[in-house]
Amino acid sequence: MKYSIALLTLLSAASFAAQTAVTKITPMPTQKVNPLKTSCPKQHETSYLQSAVLKQNKQLLISVVGQGVAPTNTSSPAQAYALAKRAAVADAYRLIAEKVKGVKVDGQDYIKNMMVKRSTIRTFVSAMVKNANVVETTFKEGLCEVEMEIMLSHSQFAQ
Amino acid sequence: MRSRDGNHAFSLSICAIILFYSLALSAGEYLISYRYIVKDTIIYNEVLNISHAMHKCYGNPSNILFLETDSSKNLKQIIAKNDEKFRNYLFKLGLQIEHQEETINLQNTSTTIITFKTTCFKVDFNENFAKIAALK
Repeated sequence: MKYSIALLTLLSAASFAAQTAVTKITPMPTQKVNPLKTSCPKQHETSYLQSAVLKQNKQLLISVVGQGVAPTNTSSPAQAYALAKRAAVADAYRLIAEKVKGVKVDGQDYIKNMMVKRSTIRTFVSAMVKNANVVETTFKEGLCEVEMEIMLSHSQFAQ
Repeated sequence: MRSRDGNHAFSLSICAIILFYSLALSAGEYLISYRYIVKDTIIYNEVLNISHAMHKCYGNPSNILFLETDSSKNLKQIIAKNDEKFRNYLFKLGLQIEHQEETINLQNTSTTIITFKTTCFKVDFNENFAKIAALK
């Protein structure tokens, strides 16, 4: 009886050792990370930030292109152009405000039974813009594009 | 002692006084506000309000604009004739931008409200032009 118990313990120990040997032989595949890919966006980000920061004694030029569409019920092409341009100017002003002041973003997802029932994103922009200039206006096939520029200086924001 | 050609300084001062009074007599103060709404990149509503100031405006004239008048003294008519020029002038003075965008189930709608807040302008009417200056 004693010999049989000793034999069983020996067998179990041998099987455990064999299992660990197998796991050692087949290691898990590891994912290689390309160091170039991780470093590139960082460099790009820093260069972008350096160009976007408004430094003292230097001016920053912000250029945007606003788009506007003419309404369908216009009485003449001239009216269509005038109305489309107005809409494009408003869009350009909005883009300037977004760049200078920023955007408030609010998001909401309604999920039921593991499914997205309703997804809502709301954005708000509110700003006062002065001294913006219209650089170029193009009107093609009902779409008006207005290029606008604004020059920012550090003193305008100094407190 | 007057020269034979006349006293230039005296005649210039008389001319300046006449010019000043002619400008002052036909000057007026107006309150102007402008607002338009753009919905989904299409203009929806536009309002330009022009009114005589009911009481005196205070401030210094700045940002002067000259508009051709054809001897008219009606500011609404003058602005209607020089619509584009006047609007660009208002834009330069500064606009308030309110923009709201909503994306529900990937369908986007947007509303932009551009407002030029009510500002007092001093307007001088002359023979061929009107001088408009914002009072700040």
